[in-house]
Amino acid sequence: MSVAEIEPLEDADAEDRQILERTWKHGTGLWGWLTEVHHAAIGKRIIVTALIFFALGGIEALLIRIQLARPENRLLGPDLYNEVFTTHGTTMMFLFAVPMMLGLGLYLVPLMVGTRDVAFPRLNAFSYWLYLIGGLLLYTGFFLNTGPDAGWFSYVPLAGPEYSPGKRVDVWAQMITFTEISSLAMAINLIVTIFKQRAPGMSLNRIPIFVWAMLVTSFMVVFAMPAVMLSSTMLALDRLVDTHFFNQGQGGDPLMWQHLFWFFGHPEVYIIFLPATGIVSTLLPPFARREVFGYLALVLSLVATGFMGFGLWVHHMFATGLPQLGASFFTAASIMIAIPSGTQMFCWIATLWGGRLRFQTPLLYVLGFIFTFLIGGLTGVMLAAVPLDLQVHDTFFVVAHFHYVLIGGAVFPLLGGLFYWFPKMTGRMLSETWGKVSFWLVFLGFNLTFFPLHVLGFQGMPRRVYTYLPETGWGDLNLLATIGSGVLTLGVLAYVINMLSSLVAGPPAGNDPWASDTLEWSTTSPPPPYNFQHLPTVGGRSPLWLWRDDQPVVTGLRSDRREMLATNLLDAEPDHRDILPGPTIWPLILGLGVGTTFIVGIFTPWGLPIGAVPCAIALIAWFWPRGDMDREVLKEKTLKEKKS
Amino acid sequence: MSRRTALDVSHLPTTVFGSRAPLWWGAVGIMTIEGTMFAIMAACYFYLRGGAEVWPPPDVVHPGLGITTLNLAILLVSMVPMHLVSKAAVREDLPAARRWLIVATLLMVASLALRWFILQRLTFLWNSHAYGSVVWTTAGLHTLHVITGTIENLLFITLLTRGPVEDKHMTDLRLNSLYWYFVALSWVPFYCIFFLDPGLLR
Repeated sequence: MSVAEIEPLEDADAEDRQILERTWKHGTGLWGWLTEVHHAAIGKRIIVTALIFFALGGIEALLIRIQLARPENRLLGPDLYNEVFTTHGTTMMFLFAVPMMLGLGLYLVPLMVGTRDVAFPRLNAFSYWLYLIGGLLLYTGFFLNTGPDAGWFSYVPLAGPEYSPGKRVDVWAQMITFTEISSLAMAINLIVTIFKQRAPGMSLNRIPIFVWAMLVTSFMVVFAMPAVMLSSTMLALDRLVDTHFFNQGQGGDPLMWQHLFWFFGHPEVYIIFLPATGIVSTLLPPFARREVFGYLALVLSLVATGFMGFGLWVHHMFATGLPQLGASFFTAASIMIAIPSGTQMFCWIATLWGGRLRFQTPLLYVLGFIFTFLIGGLTGVMLAAVPLDLQVHDTFFVVAHFHYVLIGGAVFPLLGGLFYWFPKMTGRMLSETWGKVSFWLVFLGFNLTFFPLHVLGFQGMPRRVYTYLPETGWGDLNLLATIGSGVLTLGVLAYVINMLSSLVAGPPAGNDPWASDTLEWSTTSPPPPYNFQHLPTVGGRSPLWLWRDDQPVVTGLRSDRREMLATNLLDAEPDHRDILPGPTIWPLILGLGVGTTFIVGIFTPWGLPIGAVPCAIALIAWFWPRGDMDREVLKEKTLKEKKS
Repeated sequence: MSRRTALDVSHLPTTVFGSRAPLWWGAVGIMTIEGTMFAIMAACYFYLRGGAEVWPPPDVVHPGLGITTLNLAILLVSMVPMHLVSKAAVREDLPAARRWLIVATLLMVASLALRWFILQRLTFLWNSHAYGSVVWTTAGLHTLHVITGTIENLLFITLLTRGPVEDKHMTDLRLNSLYWYFVALSWVPFYCIFFLDPGLLR
């Protein structure tokens, strides 16, 4: 590729910016909002929606804690309690954690790899609508007293037609199928964007670690989500048209549910955790003021975790009476995953060790993460041992463990990451004072809530009981945990208020407030709808720190249509120009069509044929060329003409 | 930052084939997802079979080796015209692409008709037993794919007839063929375990 000298032409640049502005401008008004397809808008929408579900899940968590604060509490009855903890788990796993991480990826990855949009913008919009409809379905059910109540993993036979009559579990099953289609679509978008749209020069060994984390996560989504989609479909079929997948009496097998669910469910933990580790590896360099230690080791750990994550699922099933050899294999595999996790841990410590630290809020969350995740990781190694697992199976020890892993391991980095990227997304800085206040409240509140649960678990308190007797002696620790959850809530509130007030009155951020090293900080805050006026090229792993005055920029992309540069997979050499579609309503219509299919499917098997009609119409309209891309139109030519 | 040097990309093409195209990766992604689904269905079949004392259940009668084999053969043969469509797309030879699309679509419709006939001949339903559930669900899932492929072909025939056909549609046509190979080939393992399996030919 030839690199030519060009003169800086201020006037031409300004004119070019105007054209880009026109081509890429975000929609305005309701119609503009409904037809929007740009990754920045959709990404932000996913993040905000996920945060709302996080708040709802948090309120349910508080209800659980208040109910358990003292023995024989009668605030929630057993039935409502079942609904509340099931909806809490389902919300946090399916409507908050996974979409949140993928949404953050969809917002950041195109900026970090230096491109204008994701590979499939309309698919991106479609995944958002589907996710939203799925979430609304769950909460509509919940408020109509049809919220799922068989736990977030809906074990059969409890969730089967015999023991869960009514429509509660059907709402759960259809909602799962929804959100998983949405996650799968997001994952494909991320993979292709990372493979094909990196800035020239960003070869595989220069991809930012957050982007590597999103890549591995997306591959895990691709192989894990089909298992839960199929199993939730089988559950729905068992309930709706009397199939017998999980019915022991007719040759089915309830244990098959557990295998299918955890074949998804265990990778799910890493689908949530790996992006968080990517955030940590991204936050460390600017706040330690050095490149991250052990790039290669970190990337290989991510990939190794991605593979190993699929070989552990049976450790959720140690109490089902598996053959000893099988149990031993999965114990070994579960302990083995401590190796890549440990490698990452040591790389982070080494980065901190050699750095000049700036103790600002994002770094505090990273340090909080390292501390809490260490505890969660260690109890994980304990639980991998069959004898211990059998002792504490289905007790609060397990609850404590996975909250340390998921809140400590994923929510802490996420809160740090949102604090770090908030200036990029909004153009305004958050208050550092309130950031620190919120961190300490969240950190102390979290440990106060969940550490006592370890002890309660050892004392034998089972999970998912709506109350307990005073004679058990569990009252004091439960009260302590409930007080802790109040502190945690104050911390989250402080964080949210900080966000809202900064949105209005925060000081302007400028392009690069943290002196960071990745490409998203090279454009304005918030970025223009075309992300970069000239796509950047990359000369190393920390492009902004290595920026040379003669670093070339990409020219020659047309500004009057949505062109982007496709590069090749390994070395990111420029390969061709591709044209991306603009705003369209059809992803929303398709989302509604798919929604109709599944929501009608709760009540009658005719859901599929009824929903197929709007789906087919939407897909055809989506596909049909609108001639607005200024593409070359082919005329019919016979071979003879072609030869001449 | 300075804007002194530039990497000019204006001469690069806007339509490419194969793994150079982002859409190719999208299609491969969908095939990976759906391939995983089919693999999990097969795993479920064997898992349920492993726990059964009699497999298949005694009321199951083979729908006929001839008709099931013929159905698979039609699916496999339909890959040939689809391959010719793909080759015509590279040459931008629209009439040939349309011609072979029509041939392939007729074969697809024939395979759907035959599939319908086979399902009619099954002596059990999805609610008879777990064997029935897994066979009907897998067959249903695959039939849905064949129907989708057929509709896609009809859409392409309409597009090639009415236009406007854009350069990018040649990439789409090739990916449509690629996807069809996947649909046709993914029935092979299920043909083997449902209809060739020694348990059924007893």
